[in-house]
Amino acid sequence: MKKDTTDTSAIKKRSLFKTLLLCLPMMLLTFMMLSQGSIPTAGERLFALAVTFLFFNLLFFLMVRTGKTDRFRSILFITLAVVFVFSFISNLIAVRGSMALSQAHMIEGETPFCHLVIPMTIIPAAFTKTIIFPGKILGKYSIGGMFVIWIGVSLALGRGLCSWFCFFGGLEDGFSRILKKPIIKNISKKWTYLPYAVLLGIVLMSALTLSPTYCKWLCPFKTVTEYVEITSVQVLIQTIIFVSLFIGLVIVLPILTKRRTQCGLFCPLGALQSVTNKTNVFEVRIDQDKCIQCNKCIKVCPTFSIDEESLGRGSVKASCTKCGKCIDACPQKALFYHVKGTSLNSTFDRYRLLFLYPAFLVLAIITGGFMQDAIVKTIKLITTGTIM
Amino acid sequence: MKTLKGILGYIWAFLAIFIVLATFMGNDYFSEQLASATGVTVSPWFSGGEIVKTVDHGTYKTYMHRPVFDALIGEKREGFVQLNWEPYEGLPPVIQEQIDYNGDSRKDFLITLNTHTGDATLTAQSPTVLSVERSYRLKNGWAVRVILKK
Repeated sequence: MKKDTTDTSAIKKRSLFKTLLLCLPMMLLTFMMLSQGSIPTAGERLFALAVTFLFFNLLFFLMVRTGKTDRFRSILFITLAVVFVFSFISNLIAVRGSMALSQAHMIEGETPFCHLVIPMTIIPAAFTKTIIFPGKILGKYSIGGMFVIWIGVSLALGRGLCSWFCFFGGLEDGFSRILKKPIIKNISKKWTYLPYAVLLGIVLMSALTLSPTYCKWLCPFKTVTEYVEITSVQVLIQTIIFVSLFIGLVIVLPILTKRRTQCGLFCPLGALQSVTNKTNVFEVRIDQDKCIQCNKCIKVCPTFSIDEESLGRGSVKASCTKCGKCIDACPQKALFYHVKGTSLNSTFDRYRLLFLYPAFLVLAIITGGFMQDAIVKTIKLITTGTIM
Repeated sequence: MKTLKGILGYIWAFLAIFIVLATFMGNDYFSEQLASATGVTVSPWFSGGEIVKTVDHGTYKTYMHRPVFDALIGEKREGFVQLNWEPYEGLPPVIQEQIDYNGDSRKDFLITLNTHTGDATLTAQSPTVLSVERSYRLKNGWAVRVILKK
């Protein structure tokens, strides 16, 4: 980073009026997206809409007022993971009667498409004009719909997708916050190359076999969504592998290291998103003049995206998910969101707001539907004893 | 140049919120456009491939899909052909059908399916027909995949 100094003194509490004024666009946008143009008449739906709307806007208000990003993002991000799992599993049980996916469901294209499949589908789509996934091209949870979201969110946020959209990441984020201090502190830098190796491996294997290798063999999140019913030894082995990866990478290691180990050390989509970070306009920068080399940012970064070299360079690695944890943790306020191409000596709060609006909106939109659904089902469970 | 970069940076940053809104509000429209522009379909290894022949049996129909040997480049040595029988309500207890999967006017195999249990048996009449992969109970009937070789 060049000699310019950033005016980080701007992080102080805003006046209530100014905060409300800055929150007004988010209130309007979240209301529009959550209500989808009509206010529900059913009591429980109206209640779910009101609670979701207030919850989102309270968090955004606190983000804007306090200048803390990750502290409030993480609450919503973890909520997203919990309500997604609850809503998704209950829907599966209502529709299919179980979380297991039969071969017949696959033939009928009834497998919901998730963003983690995307890297495996690109080469086969280019060569054969087909998508190697047993889903639907159009409709709810479709391949086309998820591709559009992936393109849009990558354009807007780059790898910010991993901390502001991914409905799985919140699980690890939640587990990584259980202990006050990490038990495993030193993780070799070499491991951070593993996601790229996984990406390369699964892309090649999927292209050769014309089947989504990662989904079949490795995806840990099948444990909390859906899995192929065990009808053969091969499927049993696959099940043992993905459940073990879930326990290891999503529960145990995040607790012990206080990092998002699946995202930082394994996820192939994360590796692909690092490439989109290179072309995205938002980034996290480090003001070397303010940095006192306390290494707090290195210790708290959940995806191993800051090291001593980053501090020397003044910018974080391409694997940064823009969660804002390092920015919140820095005692010197030396880290800040930045818009590429713009000057490094103007007030960084403007850059942060420019990033926060699209990022928070993505998180609110993706959480909104699942959260309202989860609230309605919880009300049903309390009042009728069943969620179906 | 520096100023231009700065202006472009601000424009993109400002547009990001509109990209997000368009992504979610126009998701159906954009996904339709993406699908039609690229012309992609679900891989025949999952969907069974296009239906090339329909036989009407009165109360039910047989749908024969094209043989699937698709590889990334060229064709695989082993593939399958999928047969569907629908609707479920119109199916007899046992279906027995002679199939010519490659359209050469010669019967390639005889398939027998018990529509209560899903048990399928195959009598190959061509050296390219190997075995029954398995039968599938679908929402509206049954499907069977027969493994083939080139």
